[in-house]
Amino acid sequence: MRPTHRLAAALGASVGLVVLLITAGGDRALAHKEKHTPEQLKAFEEVFMEQVRIGDLLFHGDAATEKRLGVELSRTGMACAMCHPFAADTHPHEFPKFQEQMNKFATLRDMINWCIEKPNEGVKIDPESDAMKALEAYIIWANRGSKLDPGRH
Amino acid sequence: MDDHQKFEQALARARAEAARRRARAPEVDRIRREMHAVLAAPGEQPDRSLGITRRTFIHRSLLAGAVASAATYGWFPILNTIDIAYGAETFKFAWISDTHLLPKDVNTRFVEKAVRAVKEVQAMTPPADFLIFGGDLAQLGDPVELDLGADILKEVKIRKVFIPGEHDWYLDMGARWTHHFGPSPWAFDHKGVRFIGLDTVSRAPDYWSAKKMTPKERMAHMAVLDGSVAGAWAGVGRDQIEWLARALADWPKDRPVVIFSHNPLWEYYPPWNFWVRDWREVHEVLKPYTNVTNIHGHTHQVLYNEIGRMRSIGMLATSWPWPYPPEGVPPLTRCKVRVDPGDPFDGVGWSRLTVTAAQRVENEYVMWRKHEHIFAESPADSGCADNINQRLSPRIADREWPFYGAYK
Repeated sequence: MRPTHRLAAALGASVGLVVLLITAGGDRALAHKEKHTPEQLKAFEEVFMEQVRIGDLLFHGDAATEKRLGVELSRTGMACAMCHPFAADTHPHEFPKFQEQMNKFATLRDMINWCIEKPNEGVKIDPESDAMKALEAYIIWANRGSKLDPGRH
Repeated sequence: MDDHQKFEQALARARAEAARRRARAPEVDRIRREMHAVLAAPGEQPDRSLGITRRTFIHRSLLAGAVASAATYGWFPILNTIDIAYGAETFKFAWISDTHLLPKDVNTRFVEKAVRAVKEVQAMTPPADFLIFGGDLAQLGDPVELDLGADILKEVKIRKVFIPGEHDWYLDMGARWTHHFGPSPWAFDHKGVRFIGLDTVSRAPDYWSAKKMTPKERMAHMAVLDGSVAGAWAGVGRDQIEWLARALADWPKDRPVVIFSHNPLWEYYPPWNFWVRDWREVHEVLKPYTNVTNIHGHTHQVLYNEIGRMRSIGMLATSWPWPYPPEGVPPLTRCKVRVDPGDPFDGVGWSRLTVTAAQRVENEYVMWRKHEHIFAESPADSGCADNINQRLSPRIADREWPFYGAYK
């Protein structure tokens, strides 16, 4: 294609995009996306909060939830919340960072597994597992007002 | 150099620095001890109020030159030294609490730490006049746990007095505890000091009957520090406040009173029951007395406060340290160091308390491993300053039926 043709094609595409946006009216949403309904937003939140609840139960040593998800987070009678009430001192807002105990650049999921293995003497869980996602959801939710401070020791 | 190589280099530097720090710690301890031995005047009793901070200051100015930092974090007045007037005779007593024993086959670490504390108290020279055990001997109030604790405590041959914690109580409503350790409250006079032991745990509002909880369920909710089902369980209660007034009625107002309680007798952080709900009424009774010291467990941390005329010192647990709560840490508290979660002996221990002839009671935290580094010297190592960007929310899973119990 010659340069003049390429320019004409680009201009044509731009005009087409503008027309598309104008015809979408005052709605700022992209053309392919429907406007969110309150029901949708509620449903999305429920998905998240259900994970927070499951994570909360795991974090507090709920045996039935552990059994249901096939994990063993502790063999010492210790639960995460025994050192971290309200998920205090978990500092999800500081990850990823160099973590002294592991001597490596670590994510929150690495740290969760370290706590399961070391102080709790439990069985490390798959970083992509439902249990890990739920624990992560609870910890981050409980710390949601914290200021992001990644990398802080 | 590509990004991967740069990252690897930075990681190597961080690892090397962490290794240097680990290797340096014992050396710094040795230097501090030697400098103290050399610089102290002959016969000079180290002033505990400055002992650690003075060493810190010298260490920093000689070795690091970081005088400004030491001045900021090192010269704060000591907060675990308590003046008591009329202490006629020097004597020591010891505090152990919050052992949170589980059955031996479940958790051996807690047993090891309780045994270590007991052995160290027994080895005190000169011996302590008595041991106060400040509650939470057991984790789930199980007779196996309480019997194990009673056996361990038998190794202490000096006089022992006991107050209960909530973990000791709510399986059988104190039956096993009382069988082993007798009733509370109590009071006795010892060498010019009136010592009082309160029960701040047994008067919880009934959260179990309406929900038809089993004793185990009742205990399980009580055992969760950040749970919401048991509510504001910590309290002294009207009957015991009246008893306290009677127990002090014949005691001169200016003479020293030491009150032992599991929970702090002031409002620190109610969501974790770091208080007693009727602390104002307690203080009304104590108001005429000019020299009252409250020594308490439950908070598992270095803690100091002054409310009215009452001074209050928080004791360490032997089991595990609690973090400082998101609000309410008193400005008078010098925060403890950040502890290493990989070391079960870090941030925990017991306390040696001395009533001196100079009418002072001094509290010495016996924190294992980091004995020389109990108080934070810089924000980066402080258990409080570490949380500067942290904002927390209460848990939710036990607020909504059916989530408060097992997951459905």
